Amino acid sequence: MSFKLFELLLQASIYTVTISVVSILIGFAIAILLSGMLLSQRSHLMLPARIFISFFRGVPLLVQLLLIYNLLPVIGINVPSIVAAIIGLSLCTAAYQAENLRGGFASVPTGLVESAEMVGLSPSQIFRRIKVPIALRLTFPALVNEAILILKASSLVSVVGIVELTRMAQDLAGSTFLPLQLFASAGLIYLVINWIVALAGGLIERRLPGVPR
Amino acid sequence: MKKNSLLKGLVGAAFLFGATLSAHAADTLAAVKAAGTLKVGTETAFAPFDFIDAGEHAGLNVDLFAEIGKELGVKIEWVALPWDGVFPALEAGKFDIVAGPATITKKRMERYRFTPPIAEATIAILKKAGDKTITKPEDIAGKKIGVGKATSQLDQLKEFSDTLPTKAEIREYPAFTESYADLAAGRIAGVANSLPNIAFVAKQREGTFEVVLPPFGKKSYFGFIGLKDADHAPLMDAVDAALLKIKADGRMAALQKKWFGASFDTPDSIKDPAF
Repeated sequence: MSFKLFELLLQASIYTVTISVVSILIGFAIAILLSGMLLSQRSHLMLPARIFISFFRGVPLLVQLLLIYNLLPVIGINVPSIVAAIIGLSLCTAAYQAENLRGGFASVPTGLVESAEMVGLSPSQIFRRIKVPIALRLTFPALVNEAILILKASSLVSVVGIVELTRMAQDLAGSTFLPLQLFASAGLIYLVINWIVALAGGLIERRLPGVPR
Repeated sequence: MKKNSLLKGLVGAAFLFGATLSAHAADTLAAVKAAGTLKVGTETAFAPFDFIDAGEHAGLNVDLFAEIGKELGVKIEWVALPWDGVFPALEAGKFDIVAGPATITKKRMERYRFTPPIAEATIAILKKAGDKTITKPEDIAGKKIGVGKATSQLDQLKEFSDTLPTKAEIREYPAFTESYADLAAGRIAGVANSLPNIAFVAKQREGTFEVVLPPFGKKSYFGFIGLKDADHAPLMDAVDAALLKIKADGRMAALQKKWFGASFDTPDSIKDPAF
């Protein structure tokens, strides 16, 4: 397999990484909002969040992507492929991340919160200084996991017309008849990307407050 | 239960809203000219019409649409999807026309509008080079034969297979390129596709693949596809006129020669397809 082919795979993996990173970040922002709604104890906030989460966790990502790409134009919103891909991945990962965050916040020991109240910290101080650092610390490994899952799931966005790493490998295999070499290379590129994500995740995790050394 | 009915309500509302919106859509040709871009949907796994040649989108469609773009005075923007996603996306308005191309069939003509034919689509078998067990189309009886999912070639193959003493074992693939890969790997005995396609594949991979002649079944043709509604009529009329002009001045024959090694005699329009 020529270097030219490997170079094309690397170029396509830029789409894989960009779409995944943007989706993880947007998904995280939505997840914060959703987990806030879930923890609010108010049914008019909890219900929409629950419906959102059960839909995006319950429907396969492939179906979600096809729905966003083909159904949104029916209601008058015609988005380009790249936007449809990012919307699909973001909403899907938001549902999972929201559940992770909710679990993180729910696991903050009540004793700690009560002690903070005793020494006179305000609710917003307790939220910023106690709850967020502990919840973030507890959910960080799950967040890294989710990033890796989304990187791999991004191979599905080819159904809305994005030529990312997997699709490029398929296209090149179709015209060069070197499926073995191409798919092995694509696998290697995914492995390296996810290894970097895991490594970076480990480095950040060690610098988070409250980690036993 | 409550969630379910709410979801159903939402989806229903979305459809109703969409139906009213599309009723007010404008003349597509005017929109295309105003934007200066014709959006063309296709699948990049259908050599030599559409494929990725060392990373570049190439093929007869790309060249033909470049000429159509010149005639209409617009740029061409490509959207590449898996084949079974192309028609839903056309109906959702993701692009203005499909460069597929697709075999002109009765069933498709009920729902879509075809351009004049751009090539012959009669089906034939591709086998592994040197496979002595298949020397004529009838030899595929009882063998594993690959074909594209949701293609007219699948229908043509089924119809032919039903006439054999033992039916062929038909394997459907998301794209033809995957079936060629399986043929090369020996997982299937042959691939049924239109003659221009398999002739190109056999030429590209001499020594790996061979074409089983003659083509079988009824004569059919490839055309590009658009929507049938009034909004798309002016655009489709304009593309038809451009294609007929490209055919009349010999550009079409030259492109067919470039991509198939031979040019085809095609009718100017198909009223009553064989399938």
